[in-house]
Amino acid sequence: MTATPDTAPVQRWTVPFHRLYRAELRWIFRRPRTLIVLGLLALIPVIIGIGLTLAGDSGPSPDDPGGRESLLPVAAGNALVLPLAVLGFTLNLLLPLIAASSAGDALAGEAATGTLRGLMLAPVSRGRLLLVKASGVATFTLAATLLMSLVAMATGLVLNGADSLFTLSGNTLTLVDAIGRVALAVVWVTLQLWAVAAVALAVSACTEHPMLVVVAMLAGVIVSSVLLLLSAVDWLHPVLLPRSWMAITDILRDPVPADQLGEGAIRAVCYIVIGLSLAYARLSTKDG
Amino acid sequence: MTGLLPVGAPVTGAPTDGPALAARTRGLRKVYRTAVAVDQVDLDVPEGAVLGMLGPNGSGKTTTIRMLLGLVRPTEGEVELLGRRMPDGAGRALPHVGALVEGPGFHPFLSGRENLRRIATAEPRLPSAAIPRAVDDALERVGLAHAAHRRYRAYSLGMKQRLGLASALLVPRRMVVLDEPTNGLDPAGTREIREIIAQLHAEGVTVLVSSHLLAEVEATCTHVAVLYDGTVVAQGELDELLESGTPALEVSTPDGAGALSALRDNRIAARLTPDGVRADLTVATAPRVIEVLVRAGVAVHEAKRARTGLEDLFARLTQRDAHGAGLPDVDEGTS
Repeated sequence: MTATPDTAPVQRWTVPFHRLYRAELRWIFRRPRTLIVLGLLALIPVIIGIGLTLAGDSGPSPDDPGGRESLLPVAAGNALVLPLAVLGFTLNLLLPLIAASSAGDALAGEAATGTLRGLMLAPVSRGRLLLVKASGVATFTLAATLLMSLVAMATGLVLNGADSLFTLSGNTLTLVDAIGRVALAVVWVTLQLWAVAAVALAVSACTEHPMLVVVAMLAGVIVSSVLLLLSAVDWLHPVLLPRSWMAITDILRDPVPADQLGEGAIRAVCYIVIGLSLAYARLSTKDG
Repeated sequence: MTGLLPVGAPVTGAPTDGPALAARTRGLRKVYRTAVAVDQVDLDVPEGAVLGMLGPNGSGKTTTIRMLLGLVRPTEGEVELLGRRMPDGAGRALPHVGALVEGPGFHPFLSGRENLRRIATAEPRLPSAAIPRAVDDALERVGLAHAAHRRYRAYSLGMKQRLGLASALLVPRRMVVLDEPTNGLDPAGTREIREIIAQLHAEGVTVLVSSHLLAEVEATCTHVAVLYDGTVVAQGELDELLESGTPALEVSTPDGAGALSALRDNRIAARLTPDGVRADLTVATAPRVIEVLVRAGVAVHEAKRARTGLEDLFARLTQRDAHGAGLPDVDEGTS
């Protein structure tokens, strides 16, 4: 424990946030399961793209331009629709699941291995701990949606060429415009996932079982989706997060109708605030 | 003054007298739902001491340590660590405290070195540039340098324990808290831990080590606190505690019966032991005992002052407690 002058222990009470954040990212992205999940997510658009091409679908002729049906038939032969179709498709279940499992690992998983105690003893205050953990989960979910849409975009361009960028309204977009639309979709979907992850973090702070977090969030998403189908509880619909998830199709219209997308974004922000508040309330009184 | 403070003794009477305290608790109580884990614990950890916290499993050692470190908020009572009220002062006190609590916690998919680096990034007193060096030094110190690159998953129980110890030693500390540090270690590993504790003690670091192994505490500590059933039944300097029993002389002789009658003829209380007799020294002196035996023609092979073993002390304390409070007899803790 001989310390040389330049590396001698310093009198300091907190570690700079970026140092903790970098260490958190290193931990997340070195974890084998993170890499496996990202690999699988990258595979999905390729499989769907090839599948649609092989199926030889009729191409971009949506019979029902106003409807909110599956984008998949449209995605065949359209390099713009494939990323959005894949995002919309996975937002229903797979992406929330991945966000929840990441949030589950962040607190419950670390509590299970006893490593959360190590951080608390360093000490990292409970508030900073939550901030670091939430930032890590947020970065991971952003990386997941970004990776998937990049691969989808590339797959679409390879299979269909750059001249296949039609909107659902029938206009052809330049590549730059198309990238802008996909970026908008990535941001919006990521925001929805952060909402899921924030609530998942609150659950994660209450347990030592990451699986429980995943199951709880899965149940939440499924129950919400079912309730949204029941008009008897339509007074409940405005507070259900998946209510606006179908609105991702709107990004493919000209001009982009902002009402549903905006409402969905506001709802997500509310979920994030509530979820993180609950997580902090639990974490700050939790026994380490 | 025996240094033996029974339950309810006036520890709180003069808490600020004597040496400075690295940590102290007053009237500490923790209740988990219906179970009382710790009750009325007044613990003093003098600065620079090696305090062994002794007690059977479930006696409240770990709960007390967790409250001391601010991991758990006490139901009642107050905790002070390095002069800071816990848990609210954790941000100021903990950077100077290294701790291994409830076994080592690390990620199985990372190597020992990577695990330590992760903990090191959270250490406020370590500048970023010093992290690699501090990690390697700590690994070296606990004898894990050769296995630093191996995944934690592949570590043996003893190696895991050492890595936990290394994380407590990443930065020079004012106090080190070790909860059952020798769990799972072989005799050689146990000896190394003792050496590390001795080194820390020599550097002036206060060490709090909990254990259910009596010999371990006897060999490494300057002070002892005995916990039983959630309360401190005795605490003080180890030597004082050990001498607090009745003084006696152990005489080894083949003629135990002859020795016994000779001593009793001279009004010296004694009783038979497997090796000979044990003479009470409250009235007679040791030379007098020997003299009586030699005059009586009893062959004396060896005579030595009986030190109350920690084991005896522990049995006495907990038995007294058992009789006093009507609790069942203790049968654990004397391994």
